[in-house]
Amino acid sequence: MSLFVIGYYALLIGASCLAAYFAKRSAFLLLFSLTLASFIMGIVGGVPALRAVTIAAATLALAAGTSYAFREFLVQILPEGISKEIKTAPLTAAFGMFVIFTYAIAGIFAPVIAPHGEAEVISSAFAPADENMLLGADQLGRDMFSRIVYGARNSVGLALVATSLAFIMGALGGLFAATKGGWLDQILGRAADVIMSVPSLIFALLMLSILGTSLWVIVVVVAVIYSPRVFRLTRAVAGNVVVMDYIEAARLRGEGTWYLIRKEILPNSTAPLIAEFGLEFCFVFLLIAGLSFLGLGIQPPTADWGSMVRENATLISFGDITPLIPAAAIALLTVAVNFVVDWMLYRSSGLKE
Amino acid sequence: MGDILSLVAKRLGYGVITLLVISILIFFAVEALPGDIAEAVLGQSATPETVAAMREQLGLDRPAVIRYMEWLAGAVQLDFGVSLITGDPVSSAISQRFANTLFLAAYAAVIAVPISIILGVIVALLRNSIFDRVANVLTLTSISSPEFFLGYILILYLAVKTSMFPAIASLRGDMSFVDLLYRTFLPALTLVLVVTAHMMRMTRAAIINLLASPYIEMARLKGAPPWKVIVRHALPNAWAPIINVVALNLAYLITGVVLVEVVFVYPGIGQLLVDAVSKRDFPVVQACCLIFAATFILLNLAADVGAILTNPRLRHPK
Repeated sequence: MSLFVIGYYALLIGASCLAAYFAKRSAFLLLFSLTLASFIMGIVGGVPALRAVTIAAATLALAAGTSYAFREFLVQILPEGISKEIKTAPLTAAFGMFVIFTYAIAGIFAPVIAPHGEAEVISSAFAPADENMLLGADQLGRDMFSRIVYGARNSVGLALVATSLAFIMGALGGLFAATKGGWLDQILGRAADVIMSVPSLIFALLMLSILGTSLWVIVVVVAVIYSPRVFRLTRAVAGNVVVMDYIEAARLRGEGTWYLIRKEILPNSTAPLIAEFGLEFCFVFLLIAGLSFLGLGIQPPTADWGSMVRENATLISFGDITPLIPAAAIALLTVAVNFVVDWMLYRSSGLKE
Repeated sequence: MGDILSLVAKRLGYGVITLLVISILIFFAVEALPGDIAEAVLGQSATPETVAAMREQLGLDRPAVIRYMEWLAGAVQLDFGVSLITGDPVSSAISQRFANTLFLAAYAAVIAVPISIILGVIVALLRNSIFDRVANVLTLTSISSPEFFLGYILILYLAVKTSMFPAIASLRGDMSFVDLLYRTFLPALTLVLVVTAHMMRMTRAAIINLLASPYIEMARLKGAPPWKVIVRHALPNAWAPIINVVALNLAYLITGVVLVEVVFVYPGIGQLLVDAVSKRDFPVVQACCLIFAATFILLNLAADVGAILTNPRLRHPK
């Protein structure tokens, strides 16, 4: 029994006792089940397993602290109305906002942050990390860290463009289908059914094999694949608004379809649409990451997270985690967006389960 | 009973029509190539003679509609034409690989379905407790991670650092069943992680929805013991959403398998599709897409039919 193990259990048991004494039921349950799990893990995995748990707990605590501080920061700097809303956000949502904020900064100021250019060969292939290169070099000797920073601009930017296009197509289609009805509604609805009945990755592979992999093709193909989701949601939401009396009144006033959509329907269906935009972004981002992992996304030498994983995958068989970092960057952003969307959905639906 | 049969037949008809539309889409998408298949495949080495020879070999001089009919008639009898690269019949390349893919998906499903339903029900019963919160964060993280991320993490920790399982799922014909399960464990586990998270969340939502309904409250108020409320009152109505969840996730499994197969170099149909796409071997691409789409539609159909069979309200529409 090393000092570390004794200290580990003493801290956990002491903390659970304190939690029980102050009647913090959920904290106590969490701490005590962690203690019990540690007994098993300590026996099976020994000290390294306990160290891993400690590191994980410390990371979690750091993330919680950061999100708490970031939430307070947002509450302080934002105007009255929004800051009140943010005060009620759970820590997970604050964490999501913090991550999105960081990615946005990295993406926008990529050339300033990155020490080297994204296609600049500065050392030998797979060179280990040194004071010049934070994460070592990739398979051609380019700086890994700089490429990850540039990837924030390229991968996320491409996904944002594709999502926006999907959203505009789907939302406009849904709004017109809801207001016009009739044959337009039928045609758009059946087209959406067909697109949704093909698995998205398969559809994308088919289209890209035919049309090639230029940037615009990717954007348009991905947008077409994911617009039916937006179409269905918009049509459902707008369908509920269209039957309202004030729409009838506007129609009797002689307003056109475009006016109805812009001034009457859209303002009354923004909340679910914004949440859908977040969800849609996650799907699109993961699809594009998958495509570029398969070598069909953004073409080299442009830095892109999905293809970076693929290009450096051989390092994994030497026990190096560097190729996992771009993959983790993809996962982290998707998790963050999901956290924020979760909170927004919870707010807009008024679910109190 | 006749009622149910006609409803199911109607769904089947819908499925067949959708599949037909998709086959048209798949076939004519390739027709829409700039130039034609012969020019696209030959690329740099296209001389007028080779292009003409290839056109003749593929029968491109006949109208597209007739070729579509022939292709469809062949596809129904599982004859998808000849690969442009190897010259072998596509169906012989596909059949073994499709069996492999189905095996992997079934392996993952056998592990994932019971675990996720049980966990989903437990989390629904413990809702809003600390365990529910933790499970929520964990499942959300697992859903948000790309499949290749999970796959490589498993390779790094279970294959490279501890060498418990093989990192590459190579298959040979003479392997015993246990050996087969051992060798394909990591790809199956990757799929399990992704699908379990999805299924757990959906099961949880379905059960919570159900427990909020007034008749459950009535059962509690009349003094039925908690296990009886779950088993006798909630469960019969929970089957429909659970069947739905399972079928939808199996459909998801079939698509998710593509990336996992590439990560683990598993000889399945997904890997074949990706290879064919990069080599622009269109007959193979078409065949793989059609098979994936058919499986996807079939499973979605199963979800619909299962929902109809277990829900009397759908069986007798007003």
